Amino acid sequence: MKYITTVNGQEYIIEIDQKTEITVNGERHGVDFQQLAESGTLSLLIDNRSLEAIVEEREDAWEVLLHGELYAVHVQDERAYRLAQARGKLSDASEAVVIRSPMPGLILDVLVEEGAHIGQGQTVVILESMKMENELRAGRDGVVTRVHVGKGDSVEKNQELIAIGDAEEIKEQQ
Amino acid sequence: MDNLLIQKFDKVLIANRGEIAVRIQRACHKLGLQTIAVYSDADRNALHVRYADEAYNIGPPPATESYLVIDRLIDVAKKSGAEAVHPGYGFLAERADFAQACYDAGLVFIGPSPKAIAAMGDKQLARQTVRAAGVSVVPGTDPGLSDDELIAAAEKIGFPLLVKAAAGGGGKGMRPVHEAGSLSNALAGARREATAAFGDGTVYLEKMISDARHIEIQVLGDSQGNVIHLGERECSLQRRHQKVIEEAPSFVVDDELRRQMGEVAIAAARAVDYVNAGTVEFLVDRDKNFYFLEMNTRVQVEHPVTELVTGVDIVQEQLRVARGRRLRYLQDQVKLKGWAIECRINAEDPYHDFVPSTGTITAIGLPTGPGIRVDTGLYEGHTVTPYYDSMISKLICYGETRGEAVLRMRRALEEYRIMGVKTNIPFHQHMMESHRFLSGQFDTRFVEERFSMSEREIHDELEAAIFATLVAHQRSQRASQIVAPGERDTSNWKWYTRWERLQR
Repeated sequence: MKYITTVNGQEYIIEIDQKTEITVNGERHGVDFQQLAESGTLSLLIDNRSLEAIVEEREDAWEVLLHGELYAVHVQDERAYRLAQARGKLSDASEAVVIRSPMPGLILDVLVEEGAHIGQGQTVVILESMKMENELRAGRDGVVTRVHVGKGDSVEKNQELIAIGDAEEIKEQQ
Repeated sequence: MDNLLIQKFDKVLIANRGEIAVRIQRACHKLGLQTIAVYSDADRNALHVRYADEAYNIGPPPATESYLVIDRLIDVAKKSGAEAVHPGYGFLAERADFAQACYDAGLVFIGPSPKAIAAMGDKQLARQTVRAAGVSVVPGTDPGLSDDELIAAAEKIGFPLLVKAAAGGGGKGMRPVHEAGSLSNALAGARREATAAFGDGTVYLEKMISDARHIEIQVLGDSQGNVIHLGERECSLQRRHQKVIEEAPSFVVDDELRRQMGEVAIAAARAVDYVNAGTVEFLVDRDKNFYFLEMNTRVQVEHPVTELVTGVDIVQEQLRVARGRRLRYLQDQVKLKGWAIECRINAEDPYHDFVPSTGTITAIGLPTGPGIRVDTGLYEGHTVTPYYDSMISKLICYGETRGEAVLRMRRALEEYRIMGVKTNIPFHQHMMESHRFLSGQFDTRFVEERFSMSEREIHDELEAAIFATLVAHQRSQRASQIVAPGERDTSNWKWYTRWERLQR
């Protein structure tokens, strides 16, 4: 099986055809891969280099905890990868970015209005949780297309707060 | 005389949760004292409940409806036959009315007198008191002024300055202000946060000392009037005025400065007839002038670093002196040996502005080995909720030298596995590799202004990719063995999950 695996924007082509060997970007490596009991703890000997990690499946990615760092890893087999590529070309760039609540809490303030031009890193919402005020920032430049919440609202984890679209796209629509 | 005071209590109610409740229980059990835990609905399965001799529910998850309700705690004490109360840190630990309520109910409050708490808790009175004892303080205002009065006073003090909550601690209700224009917003924010955290929105202003280090002195006092200090803790590494890394001793404190600061700390404690454990916080400027900031009238989060370099079990001493015993140490018996560093492990995402992370812990592996101590309330299945502080664990490492402590910390951070929430472990790893940290060149603004996670180099992307791909492959192989390709009407993943459920 051939997989295209993405970590932090870096793609790796990984082929797995037998138990004791894999190919990464065309290079062969000997592997011994063991799952420890029920937990997600895994032991890997890659060319006899010993590594331990915890791997768990999340909604949108695999989470890998390795040497203290938590990696979000996307694994696609060849077919799924091609499909995603085809779809990606049509929509990717113009898709609105949604700022979601990272945790349950109380909206203390919404600092932007619909139609406002905002820059990456700009604070858009102040959320109170864990007894602290948390400033939620825009992950990209753009225009606020939707504001889903107001001051004083209680929000759940992952609830949509603000949608951000492209400035050009908004102009086209108008 | 001393004997008569022994055994004043045998049963201790611990009015707290999380790692500190567990820490206090350990000290109690060591002294043969029984422990009473209290818990909110969110904490039924917590370690502090399971490790206690008895446990009582005190209400819904929000602290204002459980851990902060004095009457309920006193009720539990009466119901359970507890004879003493340990408040831990945070929650009611620095509330004179709580200490008073304990005394009124005939309970021993394991801490200083309500009068001492009130004197040090009222920041202005604290400043006056220590000033009278000859201690320098940072310029600032009285608490309790209106916003207009504070705005007027700010111009005299000058910018930058800090808005601080009178009832504050741990950075809550605190705001740095760099110019007059943003002062009124900062006042509103600080008041809001202070009201939520302490039920008291009173604030005051304090001048910000630049290039300052935050260094504090641990003191211990007994009811016979003995007060000693256990040296300093370096707490300059802070984010949003929350300490993140502490160490003992400090890079910049030599024997002479330690002696001076220790004497001043003892004078501050004596000024309020201090009994039990307390901490006197100072700002130390580049020329090693030090200014009294405040006194925390409770055990500190970072007390373990002092325990490791002095060998004194601070919580055990708290219990002993609360029972009327003499301190076990004279000042000249306190010797610092080696170096200790503490990293506060918080459930937050260091790569996204340290936004808190909530969720259920799916796997946990603690680091072990020589020179390593972990204080935590974590367990598999524990849910990190938004109701309480995001600090989920403390990792403390000891070494003969600072270098050795750092090397142990690096190894321990790498070994610590917490799955289910994001943690700031990568932040600590990055710090333990930072040249500025290694050479001790930092002040209280270092973390926020000159330290960036974006400079962190990560080396294991390829390995992470291989791990995830191997697991994904293994799953799809198993799934395809259950249903032949082409016959399934849904994805392999779903089939695999169903198959897994059938196996249970």
